[in-house]
Amino acid sequence: MNDDVKQFQAIQQLESGDKPPCESVEHWEIRTEERPYAFLSDEEIAEENRYGQKIDLIELTEQQAPANRSLFINENPAVGANPNRNKQHAFFFTADNCIGCHACESACAEKNETPAHLSFRSVGYVEGGSYPDYQRMNISMACNHCDDPVCLKGCPTRAYTKHAEYGAVLQDPDTCFGCGYCTWVCPYNAPQLDPIMGQVSKCNMCVDRLEVGLKPACVSACVGNALDFGVVENIPQNREEAKVSIPGFPDPEITHPNIRFQQMKELPEEMKRTDSAPVKYHKDKHGDYKPRVDPKQGKAKHWNLTRLSSRENPLVLFTLLSQAAIGAFAFTFVGAQLNIPGLAEFAQTSLYVPLAALSLLMVGLGLFMSTTHLGKPLRFYRGFNNLRHSPVCREGLGIAGFMGFLSLHILLSLPANSLFAGYWQAVTGSAVSSLVDPVKLQTPAAVCGFLALLCAAAGLYYMMRCYRIPARPFWNHWQVATAFFGSSCSLGALVAMAVVIPTLAIAGAPVNQALTLLGALLCVGVAIELIGLYHHARDMSAAEHEGAASHYVQCTTFGRSYWLRNTLLGLCLLVSLALLTVEPNIWIMAAWGTVGLALVFCSLVGRALFYVLVIPTTMPGAFFWRNKGFEEHARDIGLAELPQVGVVPNLH
Amino acid sequence: MLFGRTKRKPIVIPSKPVKEWKYTTCNYCSTGCAIEIGVGYDGKIVTSRGHAGADVNRGKLCIKGILEHELFQSDGRGDQPLIRQRYQDDFEPTEWDHAMDHSAEKIKDIQQKYGRDAFAVVSTGQLLTEEFYTLGKLVRGCIGTNNYDGNTTLCMASAVSGYKRSFGSDGPPGCYGDFEHTECMMAFGSNLPEQHPVIYWRLKEAREKRHFPLIVVDPRVTMLAQFADIHLPITPGTDCVLINSMLQVIISEGLQDQAYIDAHTNGFEELKATVADYDPITAQHVCGIDEDMIRHVARLYARAPAAMSIWTMGINQSTHGSDGVANINNLNLVTGNIGKPGGTSLSITGQCNAMGTREWSSCSGLPGYRKLEKPQHREEIANFWGIDPEFFPKQRGLTQTDIFPAIEAGEVKGLWLVATNPLTSMPNQPRIRKMFEKLEFLIVQDVYKDVETTDYAHVYFPAAVWAEKEGCHTNTERRVNLVRNVIAPYGNSKTDFWIFKEMSKRFDNGRVIAFPETPEATFEEMKQLSVGEGRTLDISGMSYRKIEQARGIQWPYREGTEGLKGEPRLYADGRFQTEDGRANLIAVKFRDNNEKPDEDYPFWCNSGRVVEHFHTRTRTGKIGNCNKFSPTPYMEINPDAAEELGIAHQSYVRLVSRRGDAVVLAQLTHRVPRNMVFIPFHFHDCVNRLTLGLLDPYSRQPAFKQCAVRIEQVDQAEAARLNVERRAF
Repeated sequence: MNDDVKQFQAIQQLESGDKPPCESVEHWEIRTEERPYAFLSDEEIAEENRYGQKIDLIELTEQQAPANRSLFINENPAVGANPNRNKQHAFFFTADNCIGCHACESACAEKNETPAHLSFRSVGYVEGGSYPDYQRMNISMACNHCDDPVCLKGCPTRAYTKHAEYGAVLQDPDTCFGCGYCTWVCPYNAPQLDPIMGQVSKCNMCVDRLEVGLKPACVSACVGNALDFGVVENIPQNREEAKVSIPGFPDPEITHPNIRFQQMKELPEEMKRTDSAPVKYHKDKHGDYKPRVDPKQGKAKHWNLTRLSSRENPLVLFTLLSQAAIGAFAFTFVGAQLNIPGLAEFAQTSLYVPLAALSLLMVGLGLFMSTTHLGKPLRFYRGFNNLRHSPVCREGLGIAGFMGFLSLHILLSLPANSLFAGYWQAVTGSAVSSLVDPVKLQTPAAVCGFLALLCAAAGLYYMMRCYRIPARPFWNHWQVATAFFGSSCSLGALVAMAVVIPTLAIAGAPVNQALTLLGALLCVGVAIELIGLYHHARDMSAAEHEGAASHYVQCTTFGRSYWLRNTLLGLCLLVSLALLTVEPNIWIMAAWGTVGLALVFCSLVGRALFYVLVIPTTMPGAFFWRNKGFEEHARDIGLAELPQVGVVPNLH
Repeated sequence: MLFGRTKRKPIVIPSKPVKEWKYTTCNYCSTGCAIEIGVGYDGKIVTSRGHAGADVNRGKLCIKGILEHELFQSDGRGDQPLIRQRYQDDFEPTEWDHAMDHSAEKIKDIQQKYGRDAFAVVSTGQLLTEEFYTLGKLVRGCIGTNNYDGNTTLCMASAVSGYKRSFGSDGPPGCYGDFEHTECMMAFGSNLPEQHPVIYWRLKEAREKRHFPLIVVDPRVTMLAQFADIHLPITPGTDCVLINSMLQVIISEGLQDQAYIDAHTNGFEELKATVADYDPITAQHVCGIDEDMIRHVARLYARAPAAMSIWTMGINQSTHGSDGVANINNLNLVTGNIGKPGGTSLSITGQCNAMGTREWSSCSGLPGYRKLEKPQHREEIANFWGIDPEFFPKQRGLTQTDIFPAIEAGEVKGLWLVATNPLTSMPNQPRIRKMFEKLEFLIVQDVYKDVETTDYAHVYFPAAVWAEKEGCHTNTERRVNLVRNVIAPYGNSKTDFWIFKEMSKRFDNGRVIAFPETPEATFEEMKQLSVGEGRTLDISGMSYRKIEQARGIQWPYREGTEGLKGEPRLYADGRFQTEDGRANLIAVKFRDNNEKPDEDYPFWCNSGRVVEHFHTRTRTGKIGNCNKFSPTPYMEINPDAAEELGIAHQSYVRLVSRRGDAVVLAQLTHRVPRNMVFIPFHFHDCVNRLTLGLLDPYSRQPAFKQCAVRIEQVDQAEAARLNVERRAF
C-alpha cells in the first residue's frame, strides 16, 4: 500500500466518524459470487485499431502519460489492478439482440444518480417493414469515448480530459459553465446539458468499476446480451463481426468512436424513426443505411413564427449584433483611413466617436446576451481556457480583442472629438488639447482601429468555425460564412448609413457619395447572403444527411416564414439597387429606411431559422423518451411540470 | 495534448458506501429476482444490486428492480390512517385503533344486517406469503365471509384452473432450468422481453449456448416474436383452435407419445374425437394460421425430444383461458412433455407473489391448496386453528369478478381491498365505478394514499411496502424466497401482517385462533400445514435461514431433505394430484363468443404490459426513471389504418367501445395488424374504460384482450388538456 493510499484512508477515517472503515480502498465493491459476464475478459489485444491508431495509450502518447498512475476517482489515490487499464476500451453492441428493456439506462441512472430528465445512456429505435414482416431495431447508446473527442476539442472551459487510462473521455461538471457547445458537436448526444443545474455531465465509462476489472454498470445489467465492453477491436465470445456502423448511427469518420457493432439480421430496406425527426434510413447499393428525409409533416407550408423563438435566442442576437457592429465600424473606420469622400468628412464630425461607441455597445450587448445563454453565466471568464482547440474560445477572444482595441480606439479618438472637447472644457474648465495633443493620438488611434479589425476578422472567422460542425450537417456548409460575412456587410452598412447620412446632411455636407458607397456595401452583403442561401437550399435538398431533413422542415413547418424571408431579402436587394441609381431626396431616404427595417426583419427571421432548424446526427429516439416532438408537446400542455415525465419545463 | 495533461480534472462519481447488504426478493413480478439492498452508514438505503449468487436472476435485474429501492420515499405514500363518513367527504387523519375499531364494527354491522357474505374481501398477489396466510386466517377463520378473493383472478386464475383440471392441482410443473434442456419452445401470448426481462435473459443465455427452435404465438410483432424462428400472428382468442389443430395433426400422424398417454393420462379417446373436428384445413380459417404452418409447427413440436410451452396473459385473459391452459397441458401430455428436463407446461406468472396467494391465502379454498369442498380439509384446518369446522363454507364463494356484480346487485354491501386497484385494473371501468358508489363501506389498504380506488374509500389503511416488511414470495417456478426487513415502515404505515393480526383481535374467533407475533413464526406454522402424504406443496424442510442461504428453495422441499435444493420439477414420476394419479386430457371445444370487430367497431382492442411499468402504475408512475419511458397513455396502430382514418403519428385520438371511451396518443407502427390497436393497460382512465372482459366459465378471469373499438378524431387541444388532467402522477 503506498503512502497516498494510507493518507487517504486516514483522512477518510478522520472525516467520517461512523463512516466506512477503509480497510479496502477499492474503487468498487465486487458483488458476492459475481458472475463471469460482469468481468472484463480481454486476452489478446491488437496493436492498432482499424484507423491505425495505437490501442496502447501509453504508446499513443509516446510515453508522456505514465503507467500505473492513479485516476484519483473521488480523490481516492488507489491504482486499479486492471492489467489493461492503459488500453483503449470500447462498447460492443449486438444490435440484433437489444430488446429495448431500459435495463442499461436504469442501471446507469441508479449508479450515477441522474434525474429523470437526463440520461448518460439512451435507448431509441428504428423500425421498418409491414405487418407481420416487421422489424424493430433498438439502439442503446452512450458516450463512445472517441479517438477524436470533438467534445473535448470544442469545450471552451477544458472541462474534458481524455485519459490514458481506458481512453475514457471524462468531463468535470464543476469546470463546465454550461454553454452546451459539446452537446452541439457530439454526433451521439452523449454530453447531457442539464438546464436545471446549468451544466453538462456525461458517461464516465464506470472507470471505478473498470479499476476492479468489472465491465460498466450498463453492460453488466444488459438482459438482452446486446451490450458488451472490452478493449477496442476485440470481438466478444459468441460474436463474429465488429462493424462501425448500423442504421441510425452517424458517420464514424467524424470522431472515430470507440464502439463496435454486430448487426447480422437482414433489415427492411427502409428503417424509420418513431420520434419527430423527419429522418429515415435507406439502404444503398452497398448495404449501408443513409439518412433520407421522411416527410412526416406532409408538404403543407406554415408560418410557425412563435416556434422561431428558442433557447438560442441570445445567440441570434449575439451573432447579428456583433456582425453588424463589426461591419459598421469597419466601413466608417476604413473609409476614413482611405480618405473616401463622405466617410472622411464623417470622421471629422463629432458623431464618428459615438458611432464607434455604438458598435462597442452592440457587441457588448451581444456578448452579454451570449453570456446569459450559459448555464452558469458567472463563470464566463472560463471561456478562454481552450484556445488550443476550441473555436468558441477563439471566437470569444477575437470578439474580446475587437472590443478592447475598439475601446482604445474610441479613447484615443476622444480628444479630437469636438463634442467631447466641449464637455471637457465645460467640466474641467481647461481645454483637452492642453492635456494631450489630439494630432499625436491619431496614429495610435488608427493602429488600435486596425488591430480591432484584425481581431474582429478572427472573431468572425471563428464564429463561423463554431458552426461548421459535422454532427450538424445543416450548419456544416459554407453558407455559414456567407451568412455571417453578408450580415456583417449589409447590417454594418445599414448601421453606418443610419448614423453617417443624417450626420452629413445636418452638417450640410454632400451625402451622395457616402450613401452610394454604403448602399452598395449593403447590396453586396445582401447579395452574398442570397448566393449562400441559394446554394445552401440547393445542396441541402439534394443531400443524404440530416441537413436535408432540416431543409424539409424549413420548407414546411416554417415554409411561409422562410418564403417571406427569401422574398423580402430579394426585394431588399432589388430596391436597394434601384435606389442607388436615383438622386437622393427625402423620399429616397424614407425608402432606404424601409429597406433597412425589412433587412433587420429578414436577418432576425433568418438567424432564428438557422438555429431552430438544425437536426443533429444524433441517435433515433423512442416514442416518448428522446423525442423532441413529445418534449415540446409536454412543455406546451404542462405535462412537463410533473418531474417524473422526464421533460424539463420551460424555465423562465 | 489530449492525454498527458499535467493537471487532470477531478473525477467525481457518486459513491454510496454500504455498511450492510440486506437480502430481499423483488416485489414486482413473479420472476423472483434476488436483490440486495445497500444500507448506508446513516441507516438510510443508498443503493441496491441484483444478487449474483441467486440462481434465478444471477445478478441481473430489470428496470423496475434496479430502481425499486426508490419506492420507499416515493410521492403519495400513505403515512396515517384516514377516515370519513361518506366517500364524498374529505378524509380525516385518525389513529390506527380508531380506524380498526370502526372498520371491525362496520364489518360486523353489515354482516349482521345483510348476512355474513355481504362483506367481501379482495386482496392481491403483492403481499408476502405469511401475510396471505394471516389474511386467510382472518377472513376464513374470523370474519367468516365466503366472498373472498385475490386480484389474481385478473391474471393467473386461468392457469390455476387449467392446472387443476389437468393435473388435479395448481403449481407450475417446470422451471427456468428447462430452457437449458428443451429442444423446442412454444410461447403463447407471452412477451418475455417486455413482461419478464430476466426470464427472457435466462432463455437467451440458453439459446446462445445451444440454439433450439422458438415458436411465438402472438397477434403482435413483439420483440420475442421478432426473435422467434417462427412467428404465428394468430387471430385473437383462437389459441384453442390452433392447439386443437396441432393435436389433430400429431394424433393423425401418430406423432404422440402413446406409451406416456397410456401410462399417465385419462381421456385420450375423447380428446382424439374432439380434435378430429379441427383439421388444419378447417382451423386455418378460424385462427388465421395457414394449414401448412399448423402442420409444420405440430410436427416440429411433437418430434422434438423435449419440448416446452410457456404462456402468460395472451392465454389467461381470454374467454377460453382455462381451456387454453388445459389444451397446452394436453399438447404436452400427448407428446410426453411433462415433468422431464426441457419438457413442461410453464405458466409465466404475473405478480411477485401470485403463487403465494394461490398456495396460502385461502382465497379459493383453505391454506396449502386445500379445498373448502373437502370435509377432511375443512376439518384439518379448523382443528389446527382451533375453531368449529362448521364455520367454514362448504364450497368456494364468489371470485373478484363476481363479487363486483354482486355489489351491483346489492348482495355485497361492504368491501375491503388489500393492495389492489380495481378502479383501474378491472374491465369495463364505467360499470365498476357505479358499483363503488353503491358500497356502504369500503376499506382500502394500500401503500399509496393516491391509489385511484381510495376515491371511494371510507377508511384508508396505509401499508408498508416490500422490504419495510419481512416474509416470503413464491415465484413462477415454485421457488420460495425471502424478503428481509430492511427499514421501518414509512411514517405511521404498518405492515400488512400487523394490520391483519390486529384486526383479528376485534373478532370473536380472533381470540380463539392464535396469531403468531412474527412472520417467521407464522412461516413455521405454515410448515406444519404443508406436511402430508403425497403433497406437492411441501415446505416443511425450509427455514428463513436456509432460504436465504440457498437464495430461494423450490417446493416440494420436505423435512429432512439433504442439501438446499428443492424439486426442480413436479410430476417427474408421472403421478399427478388427481384421485387416480393420472392426468386428465381435456377435450376443448371452441365457441366463438368474443366481441369481434364489426362495421361499427372495426378494431380489435388488445392490451398488455410495457417493461417500465407495473400494473396500475401506482409505484412505477412515481419513479421518474421508469415513468419517463411512457408517461402518458398511447396506442399502437397500424400506419395503413391510420392513414385511412387521417390519424397522424403522435396525435390524440378518441377510442370508443360499447362501454366507454378513452383518449390516447397514436403511435403508428407496423407492430400491429391493420384491424387492431394495442394499448398498455397500466393507465388509469384508459383501456379499461373500453374493455368488455367476458368471463372465462371456469376461472372467472376476464378476457381483457378481446373486444372491439372504433377510432374517432378529437380536438387536439381538448385532448391534451384531458391528458394532463388525468395525470396526477
